[in-house]
Amino acid sequence: MVDKIQVKNLSCYYNKKCVLDSLTINVVKNEILSVIGPANSGKTTFLRTLNRMSDLEVSFKRTGDVFLNEENIFYMNMEFLRKRVSMLFAMPIPLPMSIYNNITYAPKRLELVNKKSDMDILVEQSLKDASLWNDVKDRLHTSAMKMSGGQQQRLCIARILAINPEVILFDEPCSGLDPISTAKVEESMLELKRKYTILLVTNNVKQASRVSDRTAFFLMGKLIEVDKTEKLFISPKEKQTEDYITGRFG
Amino acid sequence: MIKLNPKLSQKLSYTVLFMATMLAIIPVLVIIFLIIKNGASSISWEFLTSMPRNGMRAGGILPAIVGTFSIVLCAIIITLPIGVCAAIYLNEYAKDNLLTRIIKLAIVNLAGVPSVVYGLFGLGIFVMFLELGVSIIAGALTLSIMELPVIITTARSALNSVPQSFREASLSLGVSRWQTIRYVVLPNALPGILTGAILSIARISGETAPILFTAAVFYVPNLPSSIFDQVMTLPYHLYIVSTQIPNMPKNIIYGTALVLMMMVLTMSFVAIFARVYFRKHRKW
Repeated sequence: MVDKIQVKNLSCYYNKKCVLDSLTINVVKNEILSVIGPANSGKTTFLRTLNRMSDLEVSFKRTGDVFLNEENIFYMNMEFLRKRVSMLFAMPIPLPMSIYNNITYAPKRLELVNKKSDMDILVEQSLKDASLWNDVKDRLHTSAMKMSGGQQQRLCIARILAINPEVILFDEPCSGLDPISTAKVEESMLELKRKYTILLVTNNVKQASRVSDRTAFFLMGKLIEVDKTEKLFISPKEKQTEDYITGRFG
Repeated sequence: MIKLNPKLSQKLSYTVLFMATMLAIIPVLVIIFLIIKNGASSISWEFLTSMPRNGMRAGGILPAIVGTFSIVLCAIIITLPIGVCAAIYLNEYAKDNLLTRIIKLAIVNLAGVPSVVYGLFGLGIFVMFLELGVSIIAGALTLSIMELPVIITTARSALNSVPQSFREASLSLGVSRWQTIRYVVLPNALPGILTGAILSIARISGETAPILFTAAVFYVPNLPSSIFDQVMTLPYHLYIVSTQIPNMPKNIIYGTALVLMMMVLTMSFVAIFARVYFRKHRKW
């Protein structure tokens, strides 16, 4: 068990209001760690801090450290960090270009591929890994905006796979999707676990119990409890965790 | 207070509002009608393509058309890149601090300066200090400074209309900020920037005061051969033929006005159609 990410005493503030309070947690390599908790519990802030997307916001302040493979991410080049720790958003955001170009967009900019033949291979492989290849192989050059929501979200996954990150952050990836699309995204998450380390923020407690190895429960910016998923769901240590997963609040 | 019944007050307010709207449209229609009625007879191929003759009382207005075109073209070539760069900086890079606020305030105020003041400024800086003389380039520089705040404002709103989520999606993949702007934001803001530019061209082709001291002259016998030449321009020519020359045939005055108006209106329509077209074909 190797720690991929170590978070030490991380506190985050928006406009001086504390949204994440001295969080210390680790993420093990090749696991799916899901983060559950009611709204305003700091889940998304936690995720957006891990690839420093929140550093782009003016009102955001933070203290503490986060280590990726024992290297402090706050001293890293932001672009290089985001290539290693990439993020899937709640709403699918395809870029306004063709399916093919959506996949090759980032690898081209990061100069991971140059030759056309390599790009073709990359597109096919990424789409296959995101189980989207069969749906779209005949219309790679049509606009990505014309796909269904579930397909768009899988395209976004394929786009991330194309840059071959180490960690993938899923921010409520199924909140806008129907149950079948959700099942497909969850399926690909379990598939991806072999190669990548995955963090999943979700509002859906059942989803956390279905896919994750460990689950963390956040409440009001504080980590209440983190444990093996089956353990946390069957015998939580804290009363608040039990209340939340049994649906008594939140 | 007199109390009206609801039906009557509704009717009354409708009438007042409708009349106000009509009052806004009627002058435009009357202007267009008058100019076309009085000027259409003088429009001919010869009028558009020949030099003025007989103390401008006959012949064409070719040098004025060419002059206006060349000044406006130079001005937009200068102002568009600078304006777009400034808009990108303000919209995508600038932090919300004192300097940024001062810059934004300056831009708003620059747009409010009377155009004749720009003319005097151009005369002082470009014509005299930089010794460019009364020339196309001096006029174009003056116009481009005047148009800069407008270009910056329209370009900023075009950049703003590109959803923030596209920037986030691109940045989250490790793509740098500049590459995000270059490959995602700019291509999608371009239609808006271009329509803004066309409207700017339309606006500055009718401007008289800024070029009065910097580029335009009463009469030149030849077409301009370089950007350091003096030129005749349509708005200034219109002023001259309507006030400075005795016994001026009326149809030449209105013909000149008609040409200028058609130029401006055509560009406005092009901008409107472009806007409609791009809105229909928008990719998101």
